[in-house]
Amino acid sequence: MLAYREKDNLIHKLHPLAAVAYISIIIILSLIFSHPVYLLGLLLAVGTVIIASGNFREWTPYLLISLGMITVIMLVNAVFVQAGSTVLFYGPRVPVLGKIRITLEAICFGIGMGIRLLVIVSAFCFYTYAVHPDKALKLFSKFGNKSVLAVTLSTRLFPLMIRDVRRITEVQRCRGVKLDTGSRWQRVKNRLPVINVLLLSSLERSLQLAESMQARGYGSGKRTCYTRDLWRPRDCLIFSAAVLSLLTGIWAVWQGWAGYTYYPRLESLQLNDLKMAAVIVLALTVPTVLSWGWKKWPLLKSKI
Amino acid sequence: MKIKIFAAILVFLGLLLAVSVIPVNPLYNVNWALFSSVVIGLAMLAFFRCFEKSAVTSKEIALISTMAALAAVSRIPFAAIMSVQPTTFIVMITGYVFGAQTGFMVGAIAALVSNFFLGQGPWTPWQMYCWGLCGVSAALLAGRQKGFKLSTFIILAGFWGYLFGWIMNIWHWVGFVYPLTLETFIATYLASFTFDTFHAVGNVIFTVLLGKSFYRALNRFKNKFSIIYIDC
Repeated sequence: MLAYREKDNLIHKLHPLAAVAYISIIIILSLIFSHPVYLLGLLLAVGTVIIASGNFREWTPYLLISLGMITVIMLVNAVFVQAGSTVLFYGPRVPVLGKIRITLEAICFGIGMGIRLLVIVSAFCFYTYAVHPDKALKLFSKFGNKSVLAVTLSTRLFPLMIRDVRRITEVQRCRGVKLDTGSRWQRVKNRLPVINVLLLSSLERSLQLAESMQARGYGSGKRTCYTRDLWRPRDCLIFSAAVLSLLTGIWAVWQGWAGYTYYPRLESLQLNDLKMAAVIVLALTVPTVLSWGWKKWPLLKSKI
Repeated sequence: MKIKIFAAILVFLGLLLAVSVIPVNPLYNVNWALFSSVVIGLAMLAFFRCFEKSAVTSKEIALISTMAALAAVSRIPFAAIMSVQPTTFIVMITGYVFGAQTGFMVGAIAALVSNFFLGQGPWTPWQMYCWGLCGVSAALLAGRQKGFKLSTFIILAGFWGYLFGWIMNIWHWVGFVYPLTLETFIATYLASFTFDTFHAVGNVIFTVLLGKSFYRALNRFKNKFSIIYIDC
């Protein structure tokens, strides 16, 4: 049911704090950078990590969907934005917009935004497939154990309810309710009792759930902990590399290296500005390198 | 006390806006997608903190997670049809019966949990916020009238079809549209009009079909579990 699948590699065995910190730093950096080379660097880093975590197959539909979105963004941007100065060609006259000018700058801006979108989508894809939701939620249970408990319970109830829906429709079918034949309106109408039965049985179950929680002493005294995630040297390495890249990124933005002006004329690329991009990419590919070493080198595996 | 907190929030929001608009400071022209997400996150944090502070019993937690799971499950069969789903209705009716806090939590958790299965994205906090507010507004409506009035509930549900889209549009506009001018703003809102109408019509249909029976079931359940313990 859950999108997450357990896989036997280093990245799936990370402490959730390291993984969540890594992902949020990628997203923050992708939002504060506007330089296409820096954004490409982030994409490179997150892509190698996804491949190292063995989720390439899951990543491809995300890539395809976002490529479609990028095309739309690029087209809309090219048609609607008239800010650039290098005109590639003139389009027809349109009532509201006036004469359309397709400019190189608008297309490049669309591409830059597209790379940013790709980075964010990939980071969320990585989160969906490589971090166990329960483990990630447990990070927050220190600050709000009630809300986290509610979220965890409801994640668990979700597949249960889908099974319930199947059971209830099966029972209705046995009783001769026509769920698959008749007009569309008739089918919808016949399915409504399913939702009502589902509501009643779920409410009944929630009362039992509450009673069993009460019986096991929920809310009495200090909370105990069933499993504990270990904070290993690898987590330390990845976490500090991610923090290093965040600091470098903020510094690069501060100095204006990671910014880029598309309008009115494309800025030329300065090699000097790109040094920090290399540092950031190196720091963010630490998980990939460690994962590779973890597979090839038993000594490293035993040390981290 | 309440006025003080309210004033503090206003001052804080004003400062945040000032920091992003006044030219001479390093945060000038900060990324608006990031900025708006921070504001939304802070708003939600206030609701969650309120929930943590209150004395919540195991029954309420079980109820919140059950209703959130129900709202989340009901999103799945309709995922193919954009923006028509009974989730908004279920969140609203829960808020209507059980109050603002439960309504917000059910909405926020439904969005979060359904996205565990449909895929998390930068839209998750915005959906959490929107559905949370659906629950809160329904609870506010319940405070103004007795029992369940289909007519007012339908108006609110239909209105939320549009408001939901309008709040989500802010994210879409600041995230992907350039330049941020009045024209592009209006264009974004016009573009979403059809989807919002679908959402509103869906909400109204689900309210008409399920409103009464859901209200009765939830109300009965509420009476069943509200036990007052008397310390002797």
